[in-house]
Amino acid sequence: MLRTEINELLTQTGPGTRMGDLFRRYWMPALLAEELPDDDCAPVRVKILSERLVAFRDSQGRYGLVDEFCAHRGVSLWFGRNEDSGLRCAYHGWKYDYTGQCVEVPSEPETGNFAANVKLRSYPLVKVGDVLWTYLGDPEHQPPLPEWEFVRVPGEQTYTSKRWQECNWLQALEGGIDSSHVTFLHSGNLNTDPLFKGSKGNEYNKNDVKPFFEVAENEGGLLIGARRNAEEGHYYWRVTPWVMPNFTMVPPRGDHPVHGHFWVPIDDENCWVYTFDYHPVRALTTAEVDAMKAGLGVHNENIPGTYRPVANKDNDYLMDRDAQRRGEMYSGIKGIAIQDSSLQESMGPIVDRTKERLVATDAGIIKARQRLRKAALALAEQGTPPPGLAPEHQRIRSASIVLPADQSMLDGVRDAVVARPGVAQTTV
Amino acid sequence: MARPVLLNSCARAATAAEARFRIGYPLVPSRATRVVALDDVAASAVRAVAGHAWHHSRFYLLGSPDGLHLERVGSGESVPLAPELDGVDAVVMVAGTADGASAAATIGASCTVRGVMTAGLVLDDDETRDALAALRPYARVLMVPADVEDLVELLRAIRA
Ligand code: FES
Ligand SMILES: [Fe+2]
Repeated sequence: MLRTEINELLTQTGPGTRMGDLFRRYWMPALLAEELPDDDCAPVRVKILSERLVAFRDSQGRYGLVDEFCAHRGVSLWFGRNEDSGLRCAYHGWKYDYTGQCVEVPSEPETGNFAANVKLRSYPLVKVGDVLWTYLGDPEHQPPLPEWEFVRVPGEQTYTSKRWQECNWLQALEGGIDSSHVTFLHSGNLNTDPLFKGSKGNEYNKNDVKPFFEVAENEGGLLIGARRNAEEGHYYWRVTPWVMPNFTMVPPRGDHPVHGHFWVPIDDENCWVYTFDYHPVRALTTAEVDAMKAGLGVHNENIPGTYRPVANKDNDYLMDRDAQRRGEMYSGIKGIAIQDSSLQESMGPIVDRTKERLVATDAGIIKARQRLRKAALALAEQGTPPPGLAPEHQRIRSASIVLPADQSMLDGVRDAVVARPGVAQTTV
Repeated sequence: MARPVLLNSCARAATAAEARFRIGYPLVPSRATRVVALDDVAASAVRAVAGHAWHHSRFYLLGSPDGLHLERVGSGESVPLAPELDGVDAVVMVAGTADGASAAATIGASCTVRGVMTAGLVLDDDETRDALAALRPYARVLMVPADVEDLVELLRAIRA
């Protein structure tokens, strides 16, 4: 349970809010690189942290992320013409370069300096891996570029998709931290999904449906361990890292690619879920990439030409009661991603956390909220930079491992949760 | 696919406007929670937290090393473990060292028999690792390392 003020503190990320200021300390995914595939391609509207922006790639391949609305009379620049190294407003032809600087005002004398005094708010937009990243904060505090392994491995080893989720970022993120739902909601997928099936770990999963949990502090966030019985005197651990504020990873299964998520606020009632899958030491196979593109594993199928899931609110997520009855899908909804989004969206756009009845197994969520709250307040009150900014906080991996019963999770996974180039993931 | 006939007959109804119509009723105020300090390091943390306002929580130190007897924080009254677990939702064991290992075993086993949820908090101390090993088999959920604030936060979250 949270008091109303704390729920508001954690869920509001617009300009001038405390959680918004916290988010504005990090590089965040703004688009997939595929959304701006070519020089002078169509501009894309981007809403992030409640700011409306437009992204474009100019004639020289430079990425711009600027205020969506023209400084002249507020027309959306999405309608503009992206040509000759700038984005030209369709209304009266004012033209802006990738930094938001106005470079041409056709109605004004060419020799005047009117244009030089017009500049749209703009943010850096940088391609790292398959993602275009932005930083919406004070340039003075801009951290080093993202170091997440999924964007740092060679291109053929990684795949990222994205989907729109119609609820606040925090309730989506909490699904990524809450390991205790996996045994229920996603129980149908372990045997059948080509991106999960066949691992030894799956057997431990199925043989012990009442895991124990260990929530351990980690520098950039938390490590959440779910522990099940393995062979005599041993435990099977699945370790989920959360790095502040909105990055989580799923523990691996066998030699399947490792996956995780970025939960990025669009505004307070919507978020983008970036879903990645990568293998630290080998190229993804064609079959794997095809399965990911088809929406298997933790990915989903989108309406062609959009990032809205085919199964969404408007069609009751294509609920299949027969499959639910047959036990193929615990909730009757296909695919892990939509199993999660359907339930999280059903909580309402911003869930009222004053009404929840948490139990002790929600400790991961309780702790994550506490760390977010403390970090936001420390930033607001003392200017303390939040955790998760340092490159070493981002060089992290999930892990699954069998450890002797008397070994501590933290000791047992210390090396396994560090992303090291050329070293395979620790997985069972 | 059947077409919804009312606004609330499809998932589309999960809007902010519609959420206002969710039934509001007073929450069951509290859960019976027992918090036990398993050693001296934990005792000071548990004493500090016992002073806050709680609903139906009770706070204890060990009355005997085997955990069969507890001492209530505040009154100092010595009570046998078993009756204190009657009707309880959750027991939170707090440890800073491995001294409470056998008490953790006793309390954990008593909770298992009664179907009571167990949680463990391991305080940040030189002996964290040993305390963790002592608690691990008996706590369904462990928080490590934890401090007084984590204990307060956990108890508030579960409406203790
Ligand atoms: S509104 Fe854009 S040029 Fe006039
Ligand atoms: Fe899930």
